[in-house]
Parts: sequence; C-alpha cells; structure tokens
Amino acid sequence: MDRHIKKVYVPMTETGFYILLCLREEMHGYSIVKKVEDLTNGEVRLSPGTMYGSLSKMEKDGLITFVREEEKRKIYIITELGREVLSLEMKRIRRLYRNLQEVGCDE
Amino acid sequence: MSKVKKENRTEFRWFSISEYEKEEEYLSKQHGMGWKLTGITFPGFYHFTKCQPEEVRYQLDYNQEGISNKDEYVKMFQDCGWEYLMDFVGYSYFRKSCAQMSDKDEGIFCDEESKLDMLIRVAKGRMLPLVIIFFCIIIPQIIFQFVSEGGFHRPVLISYIVLFIVYIGIFLHFGMEYWKLKKKIER
Repeated sequence: MDRHIKKVYVPMTETGFYILLCLREEMHGYSIVKKVEDLTNGEVRLSPGTMYGSLSKMEKDGLITFVREEEKRKIYIITELGREVLSLEMKRIRRLYRNLQEVGCDE
Repeated sequence: MSKVKKENRTEFRWFSISEYEKEEEYLSKQHGMGWKLTGITFPGFYHFTKCQPEEVRYQLDYNQEGISNKDEYVKMFQDCGWEYLMDFVGYSYFRKSCAQMSDKDEGIFCDEESKLDMLIRVAKGRMLPLVIIFFCIIIPQIIFQFVSEGGFHRPVLISYIVLFIVYIGIFLHFGMEYWKLKKKIER
C-alpha cells in the first residue's frame, strides 16, 4: 500500500468506512445510503454530494471498481486494495473499542 | 437593481468564487418569500417566478466530473430527494424542500471533509486560471509599465493596479475560506 493511500484513508471518514463496508458486495451509491441508514437506525445519513465525491475519489485511487450501470446508477465493488484498507481500519476501530472498555466508560 | 413584472422577477447579484454559501442562503431566502429560481444568466442575473412561499434549501456543488457524467450524477441527487436545477459557471444547483428533510440541517454534504474536497475542486477549476492570469499578465504588466523607457502610461498602470488589488482580495478571501474549513476539520 503506497503512502498516499495510507495518508488519505487511514484513518478514514465515516462515509469512507461505510462505503467500503457495504461494497463487499456489488452496490450502487443510493443503495449504500439506504443500507447505512438501516444499519445505524437512521443515525448516519449520507448525502449525495459527499457520496458522489467519495465514490469517484475511491474509484480513482483503486479502492473500489466500477462493475456496470443500471438505470443510470453506477454499481461498484471493493478491490483487493480496498479490502486491505478496510481491514486496517477495522483493526483500528476494534482497538478503540477495546480501549474504551478497558478504561471504562460509564455513560 | 430589480425589474418587477407580474409573475417573474430578475435580480442582479454578484457572488465571488468562494461565496457559494452566501448564494445558497440568498436563493433559499427568495424561495421563502415566494420567489423560486428559474434560471441564471451571465454574469449574474437571477430569474425568479412567483410561487407559494416555502422553506426550501438550495445547495451548490462544484464537480466537473459530475457535469461530464450528468445522468448518473443527477440521478444520485434525485434518489436522495434533491431536485436538479441547472449548471452555471461550473456550479450545479440543487434544491430540496425542508418539509421532506428528516434532519433539519440536511445538505448535499454530510461531512466537513467532503466540503473541503469541493473547495479544492473549486480552487483547481476556478482559482487556478486566475492565479495564472495574475502571475503571467498582471504582475509582468505592472513591472513593464515601470521599467518601460517611455515612462508609464498612467491609465493603463492604474487599471492593472486595480486588477492587482481585486485579485489579491479574491485570493485572500478564498484562502480564508479554505483555512476556516481546514480548522473545522482538524478540531
């Protein structure tokens, strides 16, 4: 993984994380928006400008790849590089969660 | 400067390159007063038509890639409930009724990073040409006026100095907007 990718995506934005998480299967932008809304009980709502920008940036950086188009919606899937970045991020989040439990959080 | 006809109205407004948020507020306010945007013509004539006053949010995106892949770009916004209006000098205009928003602050960007990404796209698309004009025309012309043997030509020199000041103003304003957003993200 080159330095640019590491610098931009580790750690990554919440939007970036959810995009990679969802794109382990083929999906288009709006279905990612819907799925994330379901997953988070409506707490995370991704906006179209952010989605469009992130998807094209991630495609350029080779984290996801275009599969086909359906009714004017571009369908993507995660690449090998994308999986690597995602697993780094998951490791980081697991560490955060572990530390949170160790230190204790009574909220 | 406004011409009032029966059902339509045109108003001249000037917004500098990085003042898209001001422009959004202006358009939302007009819609709230019962004037919805129907078009913009160069250099800044805003055309409105009478409508039911309504709380509607207007948003601007700057995405050249989106404009060149118009269908899928617009589709993404429509799927999320945003009406696509038009493109004007590289910006795409969208609006959505606040009554349809589950989150009162809903916009076309949901994080500061993507707002900064847009500002960077604006910088590349709109500011870079200005920087080139500034360094390749304005500065050399001012220097040339001073060193030319026949002495300087006052009106020409004054116009270049005015341009120089205007450009510095635009750069400073843009730089400040960028810096503010960057700070917000780092917090």
